[in-house]
Amino acid sequence: MSAATDKIAFNVNGRDVAVAAAPQTRLADVLREELGLTGTKIGCNAGDCGACTIRLDGAQVCACLMPVAQAAGRRVETVEGLARDGRLSPLQQAFHAHGAAQCGICTPGMLMAAEDLLARDAAPDEAAVLDALGGVLCRCTGYRKIVDAVLSVAAGAQPAPVDVDGGVGARLAKVDALPKLTGAEAYGADAWPADALVLRAVRSPHAAARFTVGDLAPLHARFPGLVRVFSAADVPGPNAFGIYPVGKDQPVLADGEVRYRGEAVLALVGDGATIAAIRDEDVPVSWAPLDPILGAAAGVAPGARRLHARLEDNVLVRGRVARGDPDAAESAAAAVATGRFETSFVEHAYIEPEAGWARRVGDRVEIFVTTQTPYMDRDEVAHVMGLKPDQVRIIPSAVGGGFGGKLDLSVQPLIAIAAWHLKRPVRCVYTRPESMASSTKRHPATIAARFSADRDGHLLSAVFEGDFNTGAYASWGPTVANRVPVHATGPYAVPHVRATTRAIHTNEPPSGAFRGFGVPQAAVAHETLMDELAAGLGIDPLEFRHRNALRVGSVTATGQRLEASAGLQACLDALRPRWRDLRAAAEAFNKTGAGALRRGVGVACMWYGIGNTSMSNPSEMEIGVARDGRFTLFSGALDIGQGSNTIMTQIAAEALGVPASRIRLVTGDTDLTRDAGKTSASRQTFVSGNAARLAAEDLRAQLARLGNTDLAALPEISPGFVAIGRGRFDPPTTALDAEGQGVPYATYGFAAQLAAIEVDTGLGTIKVLRIVAAHDVGRAVNPQQVEGQIHGGIAQGLGLALMEEYVPGRTENLHDYLIPTIGDIPPIETLLIEDAEPLGPFGAKGIGEPALIPTAPAILNALHHATGVRVRRVPATPDRVHAALREAGVAP
Amino acid sequence: MAAANGAGRILAGGTDLLVQMRAGVVAPGAIVDVKRIAEMTTIVEELGGFRIGAAVSAAVIGEHERLAQAWPGVVEAVNLIGSKQVQGRASAGGNLCNASPAADSGPALVAAGAMLTIQGPKGRRDLPVEKLHAGPGRTTLEPGELIVSIVLPPRPARSGDAYLRLIPRTEMDIAVVGCGVSLAFEGDVCTSARVGLGAVAPTVLLVGDAASALIGSRLEPDAIARAAAACRAACRPIDDKRGTIAYRTKIAGVLLARATAIAAQRARSH
Repeated sequence: MSAATDKIAFNVNGRDVAVAAAPQTRLADVLREELGLTGTKIGCNAGDCGACTIRLDGAQVCACLMPVAQAAGRRVETVEGLARDGRLSPLQQAFHAHGAAQCGICTPGMLMAAEDLLARDAAPDEAAVLDALGGVLCRCTGYRKIVDAVLSVAAGAQPAPVDVDGGVGARLAKVDALPKLTGAEAYGADAWPADALVLRAVRSPHAAARFTVGDLAPLHARFPGLVRVFSAADVPGPNAFGIYPVGKDQPVLADGEVRYRGEAVLALVGDGATIAAIRDEDVPVSWAPLDPILGAAAGVAPGARRLHARLEDNVLVRGRVARGDPDAAESAAAAVATGRFETSFVEHAYIEPEAGWARRVGDRVEIFVTTQTPYMDRDEVAHVMGLKPDQVRIIPSAVGGGFGGKLDLSVQPLIAIAAWHLKRPVRCVYTRPESMASSTKRHPATIAARFSADRDGHLLSAVFEGDFNTGAYASWGPTVANRVPVHATGPYAVPHVRATTRAIHTNEPPSGAFRGFGVPQAAVAHETLMDELAAGLGIDPLEFRHRNALRVGSVTATGQRLEASAGLQACLDALRPRWRDLRAAAEAFNKTGAGALRRGVGVACMWYGIGNTSMSNPSEMEIGVARDGRFTLFSGALDIGQGSNTIMTQIAAEALGVPASRIRLVTGDTDLTRDAGKTSASRQTFVSGNAARLAAEDLRAQLARLGNTDLAALPEISPGFVAIGRGRFDPPTTALDAEGQGVPYATYGFAAQLAAIEVDTGLGTIKVLRIVAAHDVGRAVNPQQVEGQIHGGIAQGLGLALMEEYVPGRTENLHDYLIPTIGDIPPIETLLIEDAEPLGPFGAKGIGEPALIPTAPAILNALHHATGVRVRRVPATPDRVHAALREAGVAP
Repeated sequence: MAAANGAGRILAGGTDLLVQMRAGVVAPGAIVDVKRIAEMTTIVEELGGFRIGAAVSAAVIGEHERLAQAWPGVVEAVNLIGSKQVQGRASAGGNLCNASPAADSGPALVAAGAMLTIQGPKGRRDLPVEKLHAGPGRTTLEPGELIVSIVLPPRPARSGDAYLRLIPRTEMDIAVVGCGVSLAFEGDVCTSARVGLGAVAPTVLLVGDAASALIGSRLEPDAIARAAAACRAACRPIDDKRGTIAYRTKIAGVLLARATAIAAQRARSH
């Protein structure tokens, strides 16, 4: 291949094209950047995620691994070619009807892989589907609805009907599904002005170092396309951001010292080709590495270097909940269970890396970006730029997965500052390694816990000490440290409690928000110990949990009396028949002596406070009606794939008494919508759903007052609208006192899950065979979406249990950092319990985080049932399981 | 290639090269696309065996019925290189040349006794596949040389092969340990055996002592145990997050026993 750029001709979706590109240019880049076919997504640029899957002469290939020259003369099909004459293909229809797309970022790749399969095999079985789609990663759906969708097409069935009108309780199809299915959706990397400059951050290769930047003139001379190099000195306002007013400690660009590997130090801005050509080693940064503080224990070791001058012991925050006298209670107990547990850094691994672009408009800056929290982004960017919040506009792109990781700033301040100074649009798309190195993680936890119970199997006491490695900067560390002690008992009535936590700084990635805010780590501890207490007392593990389950009238560790909607016992009742059957089947299997294989079934429970902990977290919504009778819901609640656009529409439709198809959505744009808070803490259905309900009820009341007036005859009170309803909801909570007593949440989700597994004792591998998940969601506003959340949460819980462990510098890609593939997720049965929450919209609570929490401990308890071995460190990788089996004499 | 003075790189499927170029690991002076060289992109049956072009994709190898009948272990291994949509691009030759000790094709081809046909500025030569790797990411190829084809020998009656690997998830992963076994029998007695091990040393290993333990045996438990012990003894693995030294070593023996059982089963029905 020469470097000459003769035109390369091929056929795309039936159209002949010829592009002038270097022959080794990746086909994915040519499709997206040259041909505008952004339906082909780039998740990793390494063939690990499959988001860029296209068909080449009919066969599925990763377009990111394909030099464009090798496409010459061949037939390329992309997702944009599937729908014909505005009609979805049968496969697209099936994805729509089955709810197989959540965030949608993997959907094009999944569709193309499945098209390839169905072209080769018109009637594939499930194994063939798993094989064909095995190279496409999905982080949202847990894959099961994708499998169902493909199999439904294979079966040749008429596509299932798509519900477009249903209210609360209906399986309304995702209202924003179509662009995700056709490839038209614009994610953070999919839209940019033609004249945008490109920004790339130079990042620290060291976990801890001081640095100086040398003379940049030679760099500019060597790369004329380099427009400007930004450094800490170019940050117009305070060079510090962070979630909490007390925790604004993270620089946009480091100022002389870096505190973790991956921290941004400079921002290179120029034309795309130039920025791609500049290597980090071309940039004159001199590093003086420091001994890094690695691990929470090192952070609090006597004499440890301070990461932040204001904290003398590297402890960012302490949490505490105390009630009764656990030591006295324990001394009178019939059984005590004690354990020490460890969890790892976990990466969000959304398939869409951080991306966006910004432009300056007069004295304002507008940012198009993938985010979970437009209003917080607006305020944070304004802070670091020294602007007023209304000088910043956030226009959220479609979000290709978040899970908490897009609650923190990423590209936003970098592109805003560059666009501000240069008065030109500036674009930035993180690479996969950059995304993984620089973004926040789930807190690694070290937990020491002790529970006791009386002879009748009633819990007496819980003592819980948790150290959470919060990494280099505060981020959401305080949230984890505060939320965990409240949940440390698990969903059980425990009269005597002492739960303490510390969030400890280290020279590791900032630990932030990740689906569950520390509660999944705590659940590993309390659910293991529940099993051990039950065993010690000779009580069935499920019945032990049932006996102690929080219920209406129970008092929690914070002294809160539960007034309603506490359906854990109903969840366990629903599981009981499966529990008995699956346990018996596993024990029968093990009696047959199946070589190295052992089966086991475990149960685990959880509770989860919906919304922020003891903090005001209001949502506001508006809904307008036009003269033609159409409604527009202005929703600041960001749909990151979990489905809030659909849920808000259903709630508003129900409250208005109109079909959902009459409601149009305007979402997220901070100039157009009211603040509906963050998409986090499982709060959107409960909090923003209430705001949507109240807005719709307000509008309905206004319309009722108008009687039979013809809307078309009314004056517009604002452009396009004759009436606007408004709603605001802030969940009633109280502050926690020094002993952690108070009402931290207005309501809680409850759940219990079973995991049936098979252990290969020769290898230490675990195959999950089946999950049964019973969740009290108050009211399932949309059962299909609730199932989708449960499936996806279980997939992430399975990853937490068995394979996910982020190691800085070692796992900054999707082949060394493992997330579950389609073949890892077993059949999942969901059992929805609807113990209505009087405060919730039509009784609903939240589901996003509860779905994940019980899965890992259920798997660990199943491992014990199968083999008698306890693993207290996750992930329970094959080598750790094997070592435990050998130690116990189960494996040779 | 010769003109590039050692800075040239071969492009077959691109599944490794494009990633390395992106990551800045390599910056080739010239890229030579071999996907259109007929000899390198076809599978021919010759002399009772098979000559597989080095750039033939894994998917094409997987669909070759007679090859899959004769060498199921080799085909299984090649079909574990990446995912379905990577297999449409990735080749066994590329997988070998990337020289990862964990490459799935290595142990199975070593067990099969595959020979490489190598073309260079000085002409052609043949090389046993186990002599290709010099260390992680390094081969013994001279500057300007490339692998043209991979030759699998004829298959005698009552012979069979198998490849097993261990990964923490179901698919698309790098082997923690990989083990290829090829066996031939006369009656119940194992008359020839070859064992290849991957991901337990800087290069793929041909474990002669394991083969010796199997040859002449009827695969009695004692023979299997001695072969497994030979595999463990041959291991010089690294400790990393995919597996500890102790674990990889132990698993090499377990996989040897299991792969041997599968290969023997296939030999009996061959």
